Parts: sequence; structure tokens; C-alpha cells
Amino acid sequence: MMGAEVPALRVEKLKKTYSNGLLALDGVSLEIKAGRFFGLLGPNGAGKTTLINSIVSLARPDSGRVEVFGRDAFEEFREARRMIGVSPQEMNLDKFLTVEEVLLYHAGYYGVEKEKARERADELLKRFGLVRKRKDRVNTLSGGMKRRVMFARALMHDPKVLFLDEPTAGVDIELRYSLWEYIRELNHAGLTILLTTHYLEEAEELCEEIALINDGRIAAQDTSTGLKARYGARNIEEVYLKVMGHVADR
Amino acid sequence: MLLIDRPFRTLLSREVLRFTRVWMQTIVPPLLTSLLYLVVFGVALGSRIREVDGVPYLEYILPGIAFMSLITGSHMNSSWSVFDAKRERYIDEVLISPMSDMQIALAYSLGGTLRGLVMGIGVFVVGAPFVGVSVAHPGLLLLIVVLSSFTFASLGTMVGAVATRIDHISFLTNVIIQPLAFLGGVFYSVEMLPGFLRVATLFNPIFHMVDAARYATLETSDLNPYPTLGVIFVLSALAFAGAWWAINRGPNLRY
Repeated sequence: MMGAEVPALRVEKLKKTYSNGLLALDGVSLEIKAGRFFGLLGPNGAGKTTLINSIVSLARPDSGRVEVFGRDAFEEFREARRMIGVSPQEMNLDKFLTVEEVLLYHAGYYGVEKEKARERADELLKRFGLVRKRKDRVNTLSGGMKRRVMFARALMHDPKVLFLDEPTAGVDIELRYSLWEYIRELNHAGLTILLTTHYLEEAEELCEEIALINDGRIAAQDTSTGLKARYGARNIEEVYLKVMGHVADR
Repeated sequence: MLLIDRPFRTLLSREVLRFTRVWMQTIVPPLLTSLLYLVVFGVALGSRIREVDGVPYLEYILPGIAFMSLITGSHMNSSWSVFDAKRERYIDEVLISPMSDMQIALAYSLGGTLRGLVMGIGVFVVGAPFVGVSVAHPGLLLLIVVLSSFTFASLGTMVGAVATRIDHISFLTNVIIQPLAFLGGVFYSVEMLPGFLRVATLFNPIFHMVDAARYATLETSDLNPYPTLGVIFVLSALAFAGAWWAINRGPNLRY
């Protein structure tokens, strides 16, 4: 296998049942090419977050395989996890730390050297307009500010794949646009991005490739144009409604 | 893969930062409580008890009270730290990092160990000048207190990871540790107890630790300290195995 052909993420027949019996992932297979901007769409409870959590071992899949740039996510978890950055849906900032410390400690958890971490933190604080807040404890920040810290944190260890789980939920328009611009820039520089979102226009605007997930199964997957052509739809919203409607009929 | 790598050291330093940053809650009040014990039991009531095993009463209880403070500090630190991190989900950041579960359990447990040592040594150092106590076997004492602190910090890590409600944490502190500590020979020698209570005390792990610590300090104890050291080693290994298991398998940690 040539190095350049190794996909950023390969998920094979991933199955996950929660302890209450809920089948959250029903044999999901997915491949994301390196450098892609990939969108994962689906209703609440479709399995989007479970899929992300299973890749980073926050959920324990029953069976299946996950590879991150060819590294087994479970056997070689150190190498695999080091390549992944996650900005989760729910806020989860360490309340004992300041904005700057959140970034520096995160870098440390991923083994980034101190000097490098400092440079990176300075850069990201500037980029996300957090310089004046750097000494503030994170629990004193507003929701939008916390969101920015979460993005900056996910990027601190220079991941090769970025998981953005509902990144713009509850975020004002201004931050949403500046975030879009920034992640597009990161993507152009080579970062692979997996975005889950409820906002269909967000997915259409940003993603080259889209997968629709429902009831723990991938219902459709193609490029944005490919999907529209296949379902004779004008936009992704129509594709979404057709696919989900079809799934509901089944 | 090295156990003590940068990710591990970072989490450990985060644990230390946590309790030093909120020192008004984590260090000062427990230190004050211990000194109150010393004043009330040692000075006020203790004036009625001249000596135990040939040692002046105040001097006899100081190692015990310092030890109680150490146990309280170590288990509370890690249980609250892990529980808080779990409740507010920032533990996820650690769980998805390139650290193994063993490293995570060890970092939380060592953080609690250090807090316990700060508290125990703090009480001892503040109390010692008033009592005029000196340490007979410093090396042995250090080994005993480090292992004991690690044992209770590991227990705290385990309970913090297993707990699903705050009551579970206070159950550990108020229903398990406190009574065992009070009945562990901090304030008295087991020789003073009636036969069946003396036997029951032998099943109290805190008794073994307090007794060994007292031997190392005052050279007086109820049991031979060296087999006791073995017991403490086994207890600390068991407690850490429990902490490791809980970080790996605890409810609401990994789904």
C-alpha cells in the first residue's frame, strides 16, 4: 500500500450496543480519504456521536475495526489518538484551569514539548481572539468564548484528523462564519475534517463528501453533487428529506 | 512505552495544581481540624491521661492525628477530583488522550498521595514543636506514610470513578473511612480495649498503618511493625488494582 493512499479514517463494520440494549451503530463502514472535508448528517440519536466516541475509545464498540492513517485505533491507540483532535458537542472544559492552561495542559496530555506548546498556544489564542482572556478561568467565560477554547484545544496537538461534533450549535452568526473560514483554511492546508451537524446548509457549504446516517446505519454516501444528482434534489436538504423519508418508509 | 511519560507527568501536575489552587478549601481547613483534635483530645482531655505505653499522651496521639489527616486528604483528593471530572465530562479529554488507563489511574492516585502527604506532614510539623516529639526511624516512617497515602488515594480514585452520585463519595468518607480511622487506634492503644474489640481491630487496615507509623515515630506499638509493612504493601497493591479497574470499567466513564 502506498503511503499517499492510506485513508485518514477507515471504519469497518463497527457495531455498538449500549448497556440499555440500544443498538447505536449497526455495522457502520466508512472511509474518509486524507485531506477530505467530510460531513456526517443525521437526526438526533442516529449514531453520529457514538461513531466519534467509538473511534476514540470513549465508547466501547462490540465489534469492528477502526484505523486512523493505517494505525489500529485500539491496538495502537497511542499513535492513533495522537493524530485525532476532537471538539465535542457538549462543553467539557476543566474548570480549575485558565484559558491558557487548558491549551497547555491539553498539549501535555498529548506529549507536545513545552516550548512548542507555548508557541502553538500563542498562535491559537490570537487566532480565536482569546488573548485578553488567556489568564481567565474557563468557568467565567461566556458560552461562545468556551466554544472557541474548545476549538483551540482540539488543535493544540496539531492533529491530522479533526472531529467537529456539532461545532456551531448555540454559536452566534459571527463566530460561525469565522469558524467556517478557519476550518476551511485548515482543510486546504491538508487537515482531514469530520463534521457532524444539524445545519444542512452548513454541510452543503463546507463538505466535499457527505454521509447520511440513521438508526446506526449509513443510509447514503457520496460527494455533495453526486448525492444531489442521484436523488434529483436541488440541495442537500432535499437529499436529506428523501433519504430519511425513504429510511422511514422501510 | 514508558509509564512516566510527558502525558502522565502533565496529568499529575494538573492534580497538584488543582489542590494547591484551592488551598483555602483543600489544605487550611483540614489542618485546622487536626490541630483542634490535638488541643481538645491532647491538651484538654489528655491532661487526665498521663501516658500510654510510657509515652506522654499528647506525644502518643500526634502521629495518629497526623495520620488521620493524611488518610482524609489522600482519599478525598482523588475521589473528588475524579468524580468532578466525570460529572462535568472534562475527564473525556484525558480518556481520549494517548494515555493508558493505568497511567490515568496512577496519575490521579499519586495526586491524592501528594495531597495526603502535604496534610499529614503539615499536621506533624505544626504539632511537633508543642509536643516535643522526635522521629525514631525516619526512613521507615516515610515508607509507611507514602504507601498508606497511596493506598487511600487509590481507593479514592476507585470510588470517584465508580460513583454515580455525590452520596457515594460521602459514604466512603463518613461511613467507611471516618469510623475506621477513629477505631484505628489513633487516640488509644488497643491494649486498653476489651478482648473482642481488640480482635476486631486487627481487621481494620487503618489500625495496622497507624500502629506502624507510631512505631516508626515513637518506637512503641501494639504489633511488630515489619509484618505490618507487608500488610500495607499488599493493601496498596490491591487498592491500586481497584483504581485501575475502575478507570477502565467505571460506569459513565467509557460508554
